[in-house]
Amino acid sequence: MYSKSLAPLLAFLLLAGCGVTDDLLPSGENKQGGAVTLGPGDRAPEFTMPDIWGQPHTLAGLLAEKRGVVLYFAMWCPICDSHMQSILHGPLKNHPDVEFIIVDYVSGTVEGGKRAAMSGGYAQSPFIILVDERQKALNAYGATMGTTVVIGQDYGIRMIEDYKSQIQLEEALAGL
Amino acid sequence: MNGIAMNGPAITWMTGSLSRLGLGGLYVRPALAVFVFAVLLLFAPSPALAGSCCGGGGGAALVLPKTGDWMMDLSFDMEVYDGYWNRDGKILPDPPGSDLRQYRLNLGYGKRIADRWQISAVLPMVRNENFYENSRTTSTGPGDTTLTLLYETFDVVTCVWSVETLEDLIPAAYLGLGLTLPTGVSPFDEASRSFDVTGRGFYRLDASASVEKTIWPWTVAMAYSYGIHFERPVNREYGHWVEPYNKKLGDRRSFSLSGGYTYFMESDDTITLTVSYSDLWEGVAVIDGEPDPATGLRKRSVSAVVAFANMDKSFMTKLGYSRAVKQDDWGENFPITDILTAGVTYVF
Repeated sequence: MYSKSLAPLLAFLLLAGCGVTDDLLPSGENKQGGAVTLGPGDRAPEFTMPDIWGQPHTLAGLLAEKRGVVLYFAMWCPICDSHMQSILHGPLKNHPDVEFIIVDYVSGTVEGGKRAAMSGGYAQSPFIILVDERQKALNAYGATMGTTVVIGQDYGIRMIEDYKSQIQLEEALAGL
Repeated sequence: MNGIAMNGPAITWMTGSLSRLGLGGLYVRPALAVFVFAVLLLFAPSPALAGSCCGGGGGAALVLPKTGDWMMDLSFDMEVYDGYWNRDGKILPDPPGSDLRQYRLNLGYGKRIADRWQISAVLPMVRNENFYENSRTTSTGPGDTTLTLLYETFDVVTCVWSVETLEDLIPAAYLGLGLTLPTGVSPFDEASRSFDVTGRGFYRLDASASVEKTIWPWTVAMAYSYGIHFERPVNREYGHWVEPYNKKLGDRRSFSLSGGYTYFMESDDTITLTVSYSDLWEGVAVIDGEPDPATGLRKRSVSAVVAFANMDKSFMTKLGYSRAVKQDDWGENFPITDILTAGVTYVF
């Protein structure tokens, strides 16, 4: 009786354990060196994207006017909003010589991006909001929600990772 | 947004609510989130359930009735995203034209291991669907698994038909320990996009207590739980290898209050309606000892479950609906979702 009723539990544990050892036994080993995705020191891919007012922007054009560029990939979610507020009230104020960009990769059109930015309260913010209509930039940078990229005038990537704190971003900006 | 929630946002967040947290044997019907994020969304408060000790109760809990030896439970959740609360508690809409959903197939197992002790496990399979104007993504994978050890403070069922002595007022109380295993796909392993996230990636230990009292046909119940996440090393985020750091999600608390009414059919089969109010909090995460102010969440929701049980309470089927209260200040930093649940339970 016991073996019969415990069989489902064993099956459960087997199912739960299948292929998830990475997460069950997390590693803290630094593997940045052999990355196949973009990392610090790599050259930032060029892009052309319209902003929510329809004006096209290129990375080259943005870097020509500022000491650096920060890209924040957003999908208008709660955590994106928290991150953008954190950037807005810290690093963005502290670095007027750096362009801070929100990359909207889900709205699909300039009009959609404009509506999302307006309902989120960012349309009139100091951010430039670019619309990644076909997710070309998203794919080129290997980005996802919350990915933050700091790019210097030499096109060198100083940081590309999930946004964590103002301190983390300030440290990367200090290297520009 | 499916995601802890945040599959998209949803998936990541929702991961918290993904996992029906086994809090004291009470399922947390997701709010990722319950958090997600879950998690959900992993992530969500656990409604207290009507008449669990007597069997055939509210229908949402994986709690063995006193007379049961073991049980199997299969349920299906459909969670639909409908905006979110920002950190200030203000409601903001999802992107125009988006349709964000998460589906969960939950397999549950419960086993009595001693007169007053029972264990249970819940393994969800998660499917995220994130449709935006310029992209349509779907992903499927296991969610976070929950194991629960439950202690019953009573030896006989406490459901009564009338109160004639003080003893008739003694409620059924449960004390529980729940362990959430990060069996889902989290941002820290194979997932390259937030849309693919089905788990939060952290172990969590929950302690819970619940009290319920049934005086037929009425039941009231209350549950509280407190959970701590364990710190873990992180060296990868959405496929990018990063400089290693240690991360710990915030502590999680949940409270729920339920009331139920049971209708006895001529065959002695029962139909029980349970309504619940749930409140879920999660504190801010800590990265290398420093608080991450962008994290933390709160979600308040109401739910209703209709359950049919046969006469001996060995078979039960249920249909439930949970709704986050879509009002400013009724949540923080979390998606607003509707959850429709259908399921069957068999007690052996």
